[in-house]
Amino acid sequence: MTAAVRAKGASRTKVDWFLLFMRVALLSLIAIGLLAFFAQQLDPNNAFARWRHGGDAAHTLTGDQYKGLVVTGLSQGAMYGLIALGYSMVYGVLGFINFAHGEVFMVGGFTGFIMANKLDEAGYWEGGAFIPAVLFTILVCTLVSMATAVIMERVAYRPLRGSPRLIPLITSIGVSFFIQNAVILLFGPGAKGYPSNPDWLQQKRSLLGLVEIEGIKIVVIVVAALSMYALWYFVERTRTGKAMRAVSEDKEIASLMGINVNRTIVTTFAVGGAMAGIAGILWGLLFRSVIATTGFLPGIKAFTAAVVGGIGNLGGAMAGGVALGGAESLAPLMLLEPLGVEGASQLRDAVAFTLLILVLLIKPTGLFGERLSSEDRA
Amino acid sequence: MSDQKPILEFRDINTHYGAVHILKEVNLAIYPGEMVCLLGGNASGKSTTLKTLLGMVTPTSGEVVLDGEVVNDKPTSYRVERGITMVPENRRLFKRLSVLENLQLGAYLRTDKDGVERDLERIYSMFPRVKERLSQKAGTLSGGEQQMVAMGRALMADPRVLLMDEPSMGLAPSLVRTNFELIQQIHEEGIAIFMVEQNANMALSLADRGWVLQTGRVVLDDTADALLANPELRKSYLGEA
Amino acid sequence: MKKLLTLLALLLSFSMVAAACGSDSDSESDEGSATTEADAGDSDDSTAHHGDGSLGEVRVEAGSEVQIRSLNAITGDVAFLGIPNQRGVEFAIEDYGQIKGFGISMGTGLDDLCSADGGQAAAQTIVADEQVIGVIGTSCSGAATAAAPLISEANMVMISGSNTSPALTSDQQGNAGENYNVGYYRTAHNDLFQGAAMAKFVYEELGLTTAAAIHDGDPYTEGLATAFANAFTELGGEVTTITGVAKEDTDMVPVLTEVAAAEPAALFFPIFQPAGDFVADQAPGVSGLENTVLLAADGLLVDGFLELEQSEGMHFSGPDVRFGENTNQGTGKTANDFLAAYEATHGEAPSAPFWGHSYDATTLLLDAIDAASYMDGDTLVIDRAGVREHLNMVRNYSGIIGTINCDDFGDCGSQRITIIKHDSAADIETSKSNVVFEYAP
Repeated sequence: MTAAVRAKGASRTKVDWFLLFMRVALLSLIAIGLLAFFAQQLDPNNAFARWRHGGDAAHTLTGDQYKGLVVTGLSQGAMYGLIALGYSMVYGVLGFINFAHGEVFMVGGFTGFIMANKLDEAGYWEGGAFIPAVLFTILVCTLVSMATAVIMERVAYRPLRGSPRLIPLITSIGVSFFIQNAVILLFGPGAKGYPSNPDWLQQKRSLLGLVEIEGIKIVVIVVAALSMYALWYFVERTRTGKAMRAVSEDKEIASLMGINVNRTIVTTFAVGGAMAGIAGILWGLLFRSVIATTGFLPGIKAFTAAVVGGIGNLGGAMAGGVALGGAESLAPLMLLEPLGVEGASQLRDAVAFTLLILVLLIKPTGLFGERLSSEDRA
Repeated sequence: MSDQKPILEFRDINTHYGAVHILKEVNLAIYPGEMVCLLGGNASGKSTTLKTLLGMVTPTSGEVVLDGEVVNDKPTSYRVERGITMVPENRRLFKRLSVLENLQLGAYLRTDKDGVERDLERIYSMFPRVKERLSQKAGTLSGGEQQMVAMGRALMADPRVLLMDEPSMGLAPSLVRTNFELIQQIHEEGIAIFMVEQNANMALSLADRGWVLQTGRVVLDDTADALLANPELRKSYLGEA
Repeated sequence: MKKLLTLLALLLSFSMVAAACGSDSDSESDEGSATTEADAGDSDDSTAHHGDGSLGEVRVEAGSEVQIRSLNAITGDVAFLGIPNQRGVEFAIEDYGQIKGFGISMGTGLDDLCSADGGQAAAQTIVADEQVIGVIGTSCSGAATAAAPLISEANMVMISGSNTSPALTSDQQGNAGENYNVGYYRTAHNDLFQGAAMAKFVYEELGLTTAAAIHDGDPYTEGLATAFANAFTELGGEVTTITGVAKEDTDMVPVLTEVAAAEPAALFFPIFQPAGDFVADQAPGVSGLENTVLLAADGLLVDGFLELEQSEGMHFSGPDVRFGENTNQGTGKTANDFLAAYEATHGEAPSAPFWGHSYDATTLLLDAIDAASYMDGDTLVIDRAGVREHLNMVRNYSGIIGTINCDDFGDCGSQRITIIKHDSAADIETSKSNVVFEYAP
């Protein structure tokens, strides 16, 4: 306590200076990049742009291209957000990061692949049967992912309840490898294609005359938003949701209220799994291809989103997902390209993790994270 | 008193944490509507007694009896459903939940909606300050307000026996008296109170009976008046030289 | 825990940033350190053979076999490429017969995993066995980058049937590529020619003057994209963007928007599945690319991609695989003989065309061993320096892939490139033979 107070009052250490330098450097990079972007949108042939692009004028983005980036960032971010919810919920309740959560998402995508192809063979993946077929597929994917998450909890994590939190964390990495390899064993290592969506879903449609979006992206954004709303309602408004929040704060007192803590933990995994399952099938419908490693990168990104938003905070997970998706899609062209970085789009993963670093440097609890007092976490 | 059957009983209870023997052959009985207190120094086994009563700790031998039924292997929820609940030490509210949600969670197992509604009203009239802050997060309340919510939350379970773990701990001295008045008030509604308290003077002045626990063993078991008069107790717990 | 988490997240993100930014190019081609591990042959041998013994000799006792190896991508995503390569080696050994009465063994087919790690691990296994003369492989340029230095240092030779990255040989202007190692040869084409072919096709045949290229950071894709860009610029066209995707990327809209900003008339993406699927699928939806002509290379010239709707209308460059009655002079077999035997043995047609290159690579190696060896009593003695000497001198060799000439940096391929047009995902066989452009240097 006293040490902490002294550290705050005393002069900065070298580490503090380094962190300050990092903050300033990253923020100025963003500021300069944005300035350069606006400058080259106004005048592609300005001196800075010519300097950074080897003497040539910069290429400006048209309004449609810009909107396209926003839409793709939003749909990507919505899926990150859905997955991030599962990380955040499990962290809230059990205090560890379930790194196998990305595989729950992948299982959803694979289930979608199987369902969609079976339905396609039977002729239900087109015409009037398409909508019920898709809804049915979403339902099945949700259930399969949910079951995967629940079984994972029962088999791998419950026996470890009460052990130091590093142990389930390491276990979750093992579980992740197990599921990935089980899928490779069952379906092979290659990419698996979804059947084509009907044309009306692939075509661009105008939204209020403002922006043209492919139908499928509208579906992704709408379904993700509905799912998030349903989750919010469940957690905030229902009896089980309240129990879940109570368990995440204080298991002992929650059980004193008569709450069945084990069942609530299972519910948490189930709900998180369901969200990941929905993300999985949306991913499949949008990109029409899944592979055993599909869960890895989106899983890591979603974890990043959860930390960016403030881990344990559900609203934060959703916001973090959208922020991450948006940054990935916009920053390469709005910050890096104007600075003359070549092949800026290759750096999207770097952008995502730089965003994480930036948030951790400036607000270590994440955008919406609450600073927990020591009493809370004792 | 003895013509009634006890609600909750310990019969020769022994508990262990690993190899450490905590409670040793403890016998207790709580009768409907009475107020009793458990005194004891640090590490004498007070908290373990409460946890064992609620089923958060399973005894290694002996019987926990609830309404004549041995409930050793029944979960906490089973006991809560049958009218046993606790106001925990340091209140332990769900700080990120609203005051109303805290109260609602107190009634988590109840299915009688009307009864719950009635009890909520009763708590509002008992603690008007609580009613003003229903939508606030519990963590933002003052210590005294939190104490009210903690009691309200326990009362929402419609208990017959209310266990209180150090109710005056961490409260400003000015609040301690109000707090005991509240306990008195609850007691007057016919709820049996089992209180674990450091403030032995105050506790015994309210209670009907009391026990003194020393290194896991009950060393004194008497009426409150007799305990207050006990010279040995006065020396060790009541701060008299 | 909070601290731990923060630390973990930071570490993770730093490593990710590093991984995302890193474009590793670890090439160590130290020819100087060639060591003689076998006793340099006694100089009074009477039998004429290639080689001066400077790289050591391998002695094959009577009853033993001459050891060569196959190193190809036989598992994983790229097995469609590596498996026919390995089978090509097997058939060539069988057809070739014996060298001076000694049988030939390729041991168990090794796997390059189509990665630098896989190539390096397998190469270490190979060089540990001092009886091995040469390796046929790898399948992937990325694996060769790691394997070739080890093989070269062990004084063995390596002949690949399907590496095409210019970095592995030379820039065709007399300068060694950054990953060139002595003792490395290939019968596959150098992608400089494939890039040039595609550039010529786009500029002269299609009459388009602006183009962009996308690679995935792999030496093969990056080399080909760059070769295309350089050739296109040289012809007078404007290359608007060369950029990259990550192999795991799925959402290609940002990278395509970067490309679209300059509105190129053609987009060449010589990458693989699945990234290629997403580029082809999402490009027409990006504003500014609606009418851009999409082109890819042999990496996507595979059934799995051609069967996708989004690949319809695309052009693909690749090696000229109309082998027909080309005859391998070492075995006397024609491409058609081979295909018939292949179908009969394996019950399917080869899933990629580099079996022919691997077959020719094998007979080249066996010819070289023959030329560099002599009998010492009952023992066959093979001069490692002689094997290289022979391969360096290969001229006008008749192979299944056509006429083979080896240049100073190991490029032996026929360098004939064709471009096909793909019209219908429902009829990919027609597309494969729908040659619209031919190129030969």
